[in-house]
Amino acid sequence: MPASMALVLTVLGVVTAAEGIGARAWGAWRAPATQAARAIIVRDEGHLLFISSSGSQLLDQGRASGTVPGSVRVEFTYDGSPAVKARFTIYGRGGSIRGQASGTLNNPVSPSPSFRGALSITGGTGRYAHARGSGEMFGVFYRRSYALTVQTIGKLRY
Amino acid sequence: MPGMAWGAERATLSAALTPEKLGASTAVSFGIQIAGGQVSAPLTAIDLRFPVDLGIATSGLGLAACLPAELQAHGPAVCPANSRMGSGSALVEVPLGPGVVTETAPIALLAGPAQHGYLTLLVCATGESPIAARIVLPTLLLPGDLHFSVPLIPSVPGAQDVALVRLRATLGGRLTYYERVHGRRVAYHPNGIVLPRRCPRGGFRFAATFDFLDRGQASARTAVPCPASR
Repeated sequence: MPASMALVLTVLGVVTAAEGIGARAWGAWRAPATQAARAIIVRDEGHLLFISSSGSQLLDQGRASGTVPGSVRVEFTYDGSPAVKARFTIYGRGGSIRGQASGTLNNPVSPSPSFRGALSITGGTGRYAHARGSGEMFGVFYRRSYALTVQTIGKLRY
Repeated sequence: MPGMAWGAERATLSAALTPEKLGASTAVSFGIQIAGGQVSAPLTAIDLRFPVDLGIATSGLGLAACLPAELQAHGPAVCPANSRMGSGSALVEVPLGPGVVTETAPIALLAGPAQHGYLTLLVCATGESPIAARIVLPTLLLPGDLHFSVPLIPSVPGAQDVALVRLRATLGGRLTYYERVHGRRVAYHPNGIVLPRRCPRGGFRFAATFDFLDRGQASARTAVPCPASR
């Protein structure tokens, strides 16, 4: 190969390599793609029917209507203490939202005692993969049918 | 199987779950036997501990409250049907003259007004002969714990107080409740206490401590073995 040709190829290679390095470097310094974060006020209500139970824990499922409509699954724990706990998952369009709540049950001797407490959103899937939030939960526990009516009000960020 | 005890007063505790099917409704029965001589020192308190996850609170039992004052005055018949939570019997020793007479009193377990957000269990024992007396023991249904203060029951004048020697009670069982369906009063059998789907290692454990008037104390424990897996 003539020396001049070799030199040209070498220069081209260096330039190409430099371009490659530069491209990679440029890519590394390129501003990351922004992901729009949203925060909304959520008001939902669900009417849930009994599915199964295990000791102090009930599993209920049903439909939720409101800001984030979909199907809802709730694990409700009541061991006799007025403090009740719940873990829930809302399966909506574009993803699911997970959360947990704790509250106080009022008048346990009533056939349908009410409860009230705080909830937090802990995560989700799909468009709600980065979901976080908090709010309040209100509900009624129907002791004859083990059904639940739950209302939630809060702020959701995702 | 009854559990043995230590202490000046011997006591045994037995427990049963009927039927014993994991994840299904059951009736919880327990029995206490006190043995401390021909006449035991009167019992003043019982602390009964049971598995926290037994599902008593989530059972469909106790959908109405019976007022303790009404129960004391007139007996279980005046209580709403939906307040019934179980039944049992108590055997007591009554010192009479040179001897001792035993008396069996039926027991009714009823839901009382809630206190501090907790279910209240009322234990009502009604004796007729030779001692006619009715005692109502209220207790908070705490998670995994029932504590009864047992009042002294006077016998005949000049004699020692009546002493409880045996107590058997069942929470749940074949009870009849009522509900309104389309304006009509309809009878139904409430769901009992739901067992957890998993049996803890060593079975479902029960324990009890007993306090006596002579400051003696006794304890006993037992366990209902896990059902055989199919």
